[in-house]
This record gives sequence, structure tokens and C-alpha cells, in this order.
Amino acid sequence: MPVIIHADKCDGCHGSQNPPCVRMCPGDLLMKDPKTGKILMRDPAECWDCLPCVKVCPQEAIEFKLSYQLGFHTAKLLPHIHDTRDFITWELRDTKGNTDKFTIRTKILPVELDEKIEGVTAVDFSI
Amino acid sequence: MEQNTIETDVLIIGGGTAGCLAAVELRERFPGINVTIMEKAHIDRSGCLAGGMNAINAYLNPGETPESFVKYVRFDSCGIIREDLVMSMAELFEYCVKKVEKWGLPILCDDKGNYIPRGRWNIKINGESLKPIIAKAAKNAGAKVLNWVVATNYIVVDGRVTGAIGLSIRNGNLFVIKAKATIIATGGAAGIYKPNNAHDAQHKTWYCPYNTGAGYAMGIRAGAEMTSFEMRYIGLRVKDTIAPTGTIALGVGAPQINSKGEKFMAVKYANIGGDGAPTPYRSHGPLQEIKEGRGPVYLDTRHITPQQARDLKSAFLDMYPSMVLYWAANEIDPSKEPVEVQTTEPYIVGGHTQSGYWVDINRKTSIEGLYAAGDVSGGAPYKFVSGCWAEGVIAAKAAGEYIQKASFADIPQEIIKEERERVFQPLLNHTHKKEGIKSYDMEVRLQKIMEEYAGGAATFYEVNEERLLVAKRRLSTLPEQFQYLMAEDLHELMKAHEVIDRFYVAQTLVEHMLYRKETRWPGYCTRTDFTERDDDNWLKFVNSRRDPATGNVKVFTRPYEQVVPGDRYKPR
Repeated sequence: MPVIIHADKCDGCHGSQNPPCVRMCPGDLLMKDPKTGKILMRDPAECWDCLPCVKVCPQEAIEFKLSYQLGFHTAKLLPHIHDTRDFITWELRDTKGNTDKFTIRTKILPVELDEKIEGVTAVDFSI
Repeated sequence: MEQNTIETDVLIIGGGTAGCLAAVELRERFPGINVTIMEKAHIDRSGCLAGGMNAINAYLNPGETPESFVKYVRFDSCGIIREDLVMSMAELFEYCVKKVEKWGLPILCDDKGNYIPRGRWNIKINGESLKPIIAKAAKNAGAKVLNWVVATNYIVVDGRVTGAIGLSIRNGNLFVIKAKATIIATGGAAGIYKPNNAHDAQHKTWYCPYNTGAGYAMGIRAGAEMTSFEMRYIGLRVKDTIAPTGTIALGVGAPQINSKGEKFMAVKYANIGGDGAPTPYRSHGPLQEIKEGRGPVYLDTRHITPQQARDLKSAFLDMYPSMVLYWAANEIDPSKEPVEVQTTEPYIVGGHTQSGYWVDINRKTSIEGLYAAGDVSGGAPYKFVSGCWAEGVIAAKAAGEYIQKASFADIPQEIIKEERERVFQPLLNHTHKKEGIKSYDMEVRLQKIMEEYAGGAATFYEVNEERLLVAKRRLSTLPEQFQYLMAEDLHELMKAHEVIDRFYVAQTLVEHMLYRKETRWPGYCTRTDFTERDDDNWLKFVNSRRDPATGNVKVFTRPYEQVVPGDRYKPR
């Protein structure tokens, strides 16, 4: 189960048709549930563990989990983007609760909460 | 399911490493031309670079030249590469790296402002956001981006590629793109073989699992000439996470050791460079240790300081964050215990190895109007990120010049109708409640054939004539089954076409492996019936072309030409 979406934190980026996490998934695995307005993972087995969805979520509602066959429960890796967008701090916790932090230079580009899809007039979820 | 018809001067299929740079180059060099990028995901984070990169691995550090790079790549690829192609990309490394740095990529520098090397051809970057940076440059340059449009086939009119057809996985529209020139830049192919991990970690692969060989398959179906599929890429990676090992081996100078603590590469492969032996040998060596009962095999990191261990983790966070969580979740401290390694599933790529379209110096393929760049383009290994950029630039220049005297073609309606029927059949099978096959089940079937008969990990990647002939026979019956593929939504429809595309890659691969009767690259393609390298008979490229009319694959050879003088088996 590579990423999980915390439903209590996910607000579906409000009325966004194409929220950032949906756009950032290279595998077309995240979708907005038309009923709840929150994000769903299509199939955890298809996830590449690449983390763009985790990093881009404005609510930090998406958490990366290693598949259990690869690593024990309770270890965590949580990225936090600085407001200045030129650093990312990764908060790491092992299975015993020991924590560590890594702050690394980057260049995060601003991301809109929604984006129109070129050439597509309407998104039809019923197809 | 409607049709969108678009006319564009140049169509770029695949908005990744090569595609983005091609788009920028076209718009800068040929002002006013229309450039359209067809992208199966969203350009901001699609393809191999989605997770980021922590190094540029093909760069000429001080003292190196395009010639010295060609010599090294020739050595690393066991004496055979397209030297003309490798030379032409090396000449553009500086241009491309400087360009992307200007767009905002943080490159690590010392106090004097010089890039910090990590090995002979590598420089360190903070490339977590590398993909959005180059995507933004392509958009800023004025390229039109069609996100979530999956390319399904070229439009070939009178032997010329005049555009392509794609499927929107957002609304099910068929996109018919008419183009004067087309650049294919869809990357290589993962998922041809059984992946290293199973169940909910089946996509915990090194190569992007969403690169499913679409560009190869479209070319194969259209009768393009392909080269060197038999040079599969089987990389040495960190066990379980399948994370790249260069970050460790080059980053902190960690040699390979076996379970007895012996530095087997340094001892047994001393004559070809020890731990610096050609890449296939760095997979072959540990495989032999495991086969002969001296596994597990490790990269010995026990000499590194706690600070170096932190730096190592930082480097992985820029590219492969799951590595760091894995260590925390398994209580592994790489400064106290060595890092266990394993070899990957075989991938078909043109950027590490050299499988892909047979191209000329301008990256023009064997079909008029079609250019290839990046992992999908053959003959030029060791591209990595910067070589793909360079090929995007080269292909862009050539395509931009070609369109000056090319026009749009009239596309016969039958072509579109036929493709529409082919593309939507799995969806219609579901709508009509027919009995059928899920794409995943066919994927597993394909992977089972390849794993068991065409040299998968379980057989130490070894092949022989008899087993390959079984693979060939079993594969030959798969296309009849395509008509039964089922897709209940557009995501599944994409996956149905991914498995069809993978079939064409696998079929071509088996033909190539059968044809080369030597072991040129131990580890990548070890033939147990022809165990030695044979320069007298096989210092040449194995190429193929599938006849679109009959479906028969013809395999033949092309000569190797040495451009840079010197011993082909020496790194300098």
C-alpha cells in the first residue's frame, strides 16, 4: 500500500476538477471520487513509490507507506515544503520512534489547485 | 467518444526527458512553428524523472572530451556502440546542462563555483523538482501539451509518418494528430519480465513502470528498423527497493563483497577494471557469486562515517525517497552494515543499454518523417538524463529543418476507422458483457513466458536456442487473444494497450536474442550455448524489421564502425 490518503485531511482541493495530486501521478492512479469529493487510489499495486503526489498535496493528506513485505509498520517519511519553496524538509521516523530531519535545497514550482485539460471539453466519469 | 483532429508542424510523442528539450529547441530555433506534445500522463511529473534525480551521470568533467567519453562508453558496452551517435550527444552535454541550470535546476558547486563531480562522468544535483522544471520550460516555450493522451499508433501514409493517433484517458476521445514531422520520445519498456517484487509491490521497479514500450511497439508495427534489443538492461540495485546503486558505489566508494567478505569484483575481474568493470559485468559478477553459493552480495559501506551516511540518505531523498524509509523501517544503518544488492528484471531501454530505433546521425529513423530521441532511440547507450536531452535537441533540429519542405498529408478515413475499432475494442467487449481477459492476466501470462523461457531472473538471465524457441512459439499465439481483452474504464483501456505494446517488444526481443550467437554482454544476455564473445563473427549490430503486411520479423545485421581509435576494451 504505497500511498494512503487520509480522508480527514483531504479536502479534494475544493471544487478542483484536476487536483494537483491527480495531475502529478505518472501512473494515472489517483482520482477524485465524484460522491465524496475526496481522492481515491485506484490500485495500490500499481504505485511506483515516486512521491510527487505526497509532496504536492497542500493539506499533507497523502502519506507514503512501504509495502509491508518491504518494511515494518510505524516507520514514516514525511516531506514538508518550505513556504519559500527552495527547501524541502524530510521528517524520518523509524519503527522505534527515533526521528531525524533532512533539509535539502530544491526549486519547487508553484502549482495551481486546478487545471483545464487541453482538448477535453468535459470530464465524464461514467465512461 | 468523439474525435479531436489537430494539425501541428511537429508532434512530439512523450513529454519526458527528451521530449521537453526537443520542444524547447524547436520553438527557439524555428520561431513560429507549432509544436504539440502528446503525453500519456501529466507533463509536470510524467515518466522516468517523476521522483527526481540526484546526479547528471553523463557529463564531461574537467579533462574529459567527447572522444574520451566515446572510449569509455564503448568499453562499458563491451566493444560495440554507434560511436557517431554517442559522440554527437557528448558534444551537447554542456549546452543541455547549462540550459537546464538556467531554468532553475540546483547543481552542487564547490567554493569556486565548479560543479562537484561524483565519478568520472557525473555531477551532483538537487534534482527533486527536475521534471517540473523542464516541463515548465517546454510550456513556456509555447509547446501545446495534450496531457493524458496515450499514443496508440502512427499514421503512415505512402511510407511516411504523418502524425499519430492517441486515446484520451480523461474523456475517451480519439485524438488524430496530423503532423509534418513526428519525434518519438516515449522511453523504454518495463514489465516485459516478471518484476522483482510481487503483490502490492509489483511496481516497486527501478525503471518507470508506466514506460511500457509504446514507442517501440508503434515503430515495430509500422515496420521501422530496430536495433540491439538483445542488449537487455539488468542493473545492480539495492535489494527490495530496487534503488540505484551508483549513489552508493560512486557516492561513497563502496566495493561489492560476497557473504564471505571477499571483494570478488576486485579479485576476479581485475583485468577488466574490478569494481569499475563494464556495467554488465557488475551484474554478472554478483550473479555468479550467488549462483555458486556465496550470496548474499553487498556493497560494503561499513567504512563510511555517520555524516556520510546522512549525505547518502539526503542524496536518495532527491531521487528515490523510499530507500530512506526502507532503512528506517528495517533498522538498517548503512554505516554499520553493508547494503545488500540484487539484479533487476530485464528492461528494454536505449539510454543505459542501446535498444531502440535504428537512427542516422540526426536521429531520423528508417521511416520518413519520424525521428527518435531518448530511451526509445537505439545505438547510443549511457545517455541517462543529459544524453536524452541531447538527443531531444538533435532530433528537434532535424525535424525542424525537415518540415520546411514537408506538408500535411491527406489521411485516408480507413486508417482512422481501423484504429478506432482496434483502440476501443476492449471497452466494447466490456460494454457488450463478453467473456474476456483482464489486461493484468495477459501481462502475467506474457511475463511468465519471458521469465521462464527468455532468460528471467530465476534462471540467472541465461538463455539458449531451445528455450528461446519455446518462448517464440508461446508468444506467437498471444496476438490472437488480443480480441478478448476487456477494459471496464479508460484506465483499464490504457492498460490493455500497454500489454499489447509489451507483446511487440517481447517478440522483437526474443528474435534478437535468438539471432546473436555469442555472449557479448554477460549478465545482460548470457547464452549458455554460445558462452564467449566472438568478435570475428559478431562485431556488428543485430537489427530487425517487422513486415506490417505479413507480421513476419526479419532479422539481419549492420556493420559496426570504429570512429575513435584505440583498444575497444579499454576505458581510456
